[in-house]
Amino acid sequence: MDTQWPRYEVFKQDKDGKPHEAVGSVHAPDGEMALLNARDVFVRRPSAVSLWVVPDSAIYSVTAEELAAGIALPEAGETQSFLVFTKRSQRRSMTFVKHVGEVTAVTPQHALQQAIAHEEFEPDKVWVWWIVPATAVTRSDDDEATIASMFTPAHDKTYRQQAHYGFVSPTRKTRGKSER
Amino acid sequence: MDSNVQIALEHYLLAHADDELILAHRNSEWIGHAPILEEDIALANIAQDELGHATVWYALYGDLTDEDPDDLAFFRDAQNYRNVQMVELPKGDWAFTMMRQYLFDAYELTLLTQLQESSYRPLAEAIIKLRNEEIYHYKHTSTWIKRLGLGTEESHQRTQSALDTLWPYAQQLFVTLPDENLLVDVGIVSTTAVVHHKWLDITTKHLTDSGLTIPPNNQPPVTDRLDHTEHLTTLLADMQKVARLDPEAVW
Repeated sequence: MDTQWPRYEVFKQDKDGKPHEAVGSVHAPDGEMALLNARDVFVRRPSAVSLWVVPDSAIYSVTAEELAAGIALPEAGETQSFLVFTKRSQRRSMTFVKHVGEVTAVTPQHALQQAIAHEEFEPDKVWVWWIVPATAVTRSDDDEATIASMFTPAHDKTYRQQAHYGFVSPTRKTRGKSER
Repeated sequence: MDSNVQIALEHYLLAHADDELILAHRNSEWIGHAPILEEDIALANIAQDELGHATVWYALYGDLTDEDPDDLAFFRDAQNYRNVQMVELPKGDWAFTMMRQYLFDAYELTLLTQLQESSYRPLAEAIIKLRNEEIYHYKHTSTWIKRLGLGTEESHQRTQSALDTLWPYAQQLFVTLPDENLLVDVGIVSTTAVVHHKWLDITTKHLTDSGLTIPPNNQPPVTDRLDHTEHLTTLLADMQKVARLDPEAVW
């Protein structure tokens, strides 16, 4: 029997106005705990003002290659809002996909078809698409008190910045000794 | 500042610094051993914050006495530590650590909210940053208490058992220090009764909502902060060992 908690993908927003980006995942029993775990695992290098978490089972993920090979046709039903995330660069190492917008559709596949047709999502440059129902997203609160307690403390923690630790050359010492 | 008030303030600051330092140490004992990887990181984070808080309290104390925080932490013996017994108890199981942290976080958040009004400016100013971190600690541990209390039969039983043990110890947090009335008179602190009542309101509600029963025993085992269990001696032997190996070493 699998006793592992479900996995939640974590999206972090560095600053107001910047898009949320996928930074990794945490295991948690529910969305509220996932937000707390995500804060402790990912809000270490300072900048963050908002976190979203989504159960990985709610993510419809498609690569450029899979798209080229063809996707299943949509079924009838009620429309809902889907968030669209894309990966457009092969050079970012710390983040995966980035939030680019929303579409309204019946199924994830239908939502993807729409997203591919959206010029502003730059579909030609996309390597990976993630489609997420809006109802599957748990978001951190954006009131002042939450931001002050959940995100602001990280700004003062210089020990979490690589630049805080000076570099001492291993060769410097021996050079000094031989000069004496 | 009147010299008797200053001495009372020194005792007060040192008591709170010691609470944070000892609790931080107990929490750090989970590093590498926590049941969930994310919790290992979260509790280490909380312990680091507590250590930061201790540093702030020791600095405020040092401003009055010229004593060095490192000397206070590493070269003081158990009989001179002023923490409550609750924070020196061994870490126990996960439910015990979460319950102890919850009871302490509820206390610290309530206390820091009161201290924002302190007439001693350095304290009132230092509190702001501490309080923001404490809001987060409280959110974390209160969420855990709810999950554990209303979780499985085992989690409920262990959490209730932890509460039964810790509830009387937690009451020591609200025992007024011998000279604390001097600080109340000049508005540096509020009475502990105020903090105690708010704490009781918060914890009684949350623990009950989490399916737990408040124990009938609300008498602390001791009332003197200089009165410690043998656990503190063992803890300090571990914590101070390296520093004491070479007291002259430069860190």
